[in-house]
Amino acid sequence: MISTINSEWIKLRTVRMNLVLFIIAVAFPVIVSVLVASLGDIDDLRVSDVAGLVTGTSVVTALLLGVVGAVSISAEFAHGTIRPTFAATPKRTRVLLSKAIVTAVFAVVAETLVVVFCFLVSSAIASSRGATVSLDGEPEARAALIGIVIFAVIVSLLGLGLGMIIRNTPTAVAVLILWPLVVENIVFLILSAAGVDHPQKFLPYISGFGLGDPNLASSDSLGRVAGGLYFAAVTLSVVLIGTLITTRRDA
Amino acid sequence: MISVVDLSKRFGRTVAVDHLTFDVRPGTVTGFLGPNGSGKSTTMRCMLELDRPDTGGASFAGRPYHKLSAPLHEVGALLDAGYVHPGRSGRNHLRWLAASNRLPRSRVDEVLDLVGLSTVAGRRVKTYSLGMRQRLGLAGVLLGDPQIVVLDEPANGLDPEGIRWIRDVLVHLASQGCTVLVSSHLLSEMAQMANDLVVIGQGRLIEQCSVAEFVERHADRWVRVKSPAVEMLVNVATSQGAQASMVDATTVELRGITTVEVGELAARDGIVLHELSPQTGSLEDAFLQATADAQQFAAQPVVPS
Repeated sequence: MISTINSEWIKLRTVRMNLVLFIIAVAFPVIVSVLVASLGDIDDLRVSDVAGLVTGTSVVTALLLGVVGAVSISAEFAHGTIRPTFAATPKRTRVLLSKAIVTAVFAVVAETLVVVFCFLVSSAIASSRGATVSLDGEPEARAALIGIVIFAVIVSLLGLGLGMIIRNTPTAVAVLILWPLVVENIVFLILSAAGVDHPQKFLPYISGFGLGDPNLASSDSLGRVAGGLYFAAVTLSVVLIGTLITTRRDA
Repeated sequence: MISVVDLSKRFGRTVAVDHLTFDVRPGTVTGFLGPNGSGKSTTMRCMLELDRPDTGGASFAGRPYHKLSAPLHEVGALLDAGYVHPGRSGRNHLRWLAASNRLPRSRVDEVLDLVGLSTVAGRRVKTYSLGMRQRLGLAGVLLGDPQIVVLDEPANGLDPEGIRWIRDVLVHLASQGCTVLVSSHLLSEMAQMANDLVVIGQGRLIEQCSVAEFVERHADRWVRVKSPAVEMLVNVATSQGAQASMVDATTVELRGITTVEVGELAARDGIVLHELSPQTGSLEDAFLQATADAQQFAAQPVVPS
């Protein structure tokens, strides 16, 4: 198992596209956080605002980590490397589990780096402008900062699962990105029009976003933990279906 | 030793491989021949369990592929030299492959050296020529120093020097006791390196035998005769039932008669002979003859206008 994980880690870090995605995933929230903290209005600035800024911008990091997850398997089908991969490791579940571990660990490390760096820099800039920003006694802000890291891990695994099922990189990435931005918003509007109360409670991705929301209103959402678990359960289903398909279909 | 037993695979309504059974012996290079679309590549994918066979399967030294704990140490396979990520360097491609079977990093450099790619190993594969990709693929095969080697069209895209090199490598491996199964369209190459043949058509086994037996059985045979009195010789030979086709004014090819019979006829009638030689068709002729009924995409002969 360790050898398969090592092999998958070498694959992940030896493709330039992953490096480019990583740089964008880190650079975007850092730049936006610095700009907003430097130029934004700091009157009545609260720590939850800084946490919201950090988690809001690092959603982009999470989505890009999802792209890394999707590409880690779809590119194997595109370039045919899935065949030497399965020829070298005939136990396919071992390969897929190794990919999941490498993807998840990569997501934890990248998202944690982004969140910690962005929060520290934003706080420092805000403090230098006279605002007081501290996480002491702010459990919601603290939970959101941890939650966005968990969200990133789930999205990266969702990308992997979609890549296993769809096998085509552009389609898998499109589904990963458009699912929250388009599909769930449309479903939200339909459910609202149909008179359903708090329709976002039924939407897995939007429920998942609650993990990183420091101002989560518990009345009209599932809440941080339940919403995160719902999103994780949907992702787990996608990954399991993907695993079933990949282990049974011809490579 | 590779054993393929009752292997079948269909894609929808198309039967790609049809109850195929054959063995590949150690210490020999076995050529895997068949017309385009005859199921060679599908057979190889099923052998490695990349495609799921509908019936039967293959075993390597008595074990099915999925029972091999570190397959690269036992079976080296190259199905397509294109199965590489174009953005990864040749060395990194071999590194992930080596890591998956706990092979040391130093082994990657050894095989790169062996296939002559050391100087370009850091370059991305998309800059490689087809020949360089074939060499990279072969490096992957040799990584685990396997006793069994399975190659699908390894000479594809190689220049004459490369083809010769791959032939030498395979013959060397066989001489070391390895089991080598190799498919190729280059029949003249196959004639030079293979000891045994497995010939299939439309997914079914046509013949498994040695190259010599195959040519003996399927290739055309005739007698070539050169004589200043060739017309006289043609007359006596055709009167004995032979068919003659003139090559030039003094040379004829006779079918349906042996060299011994021609020699005796010439001696009997006092005909001077300048050449009397038995001729046999090539492996290519034998292959085309044997697979004539199994050609899926047969072209019409080109008739000069």
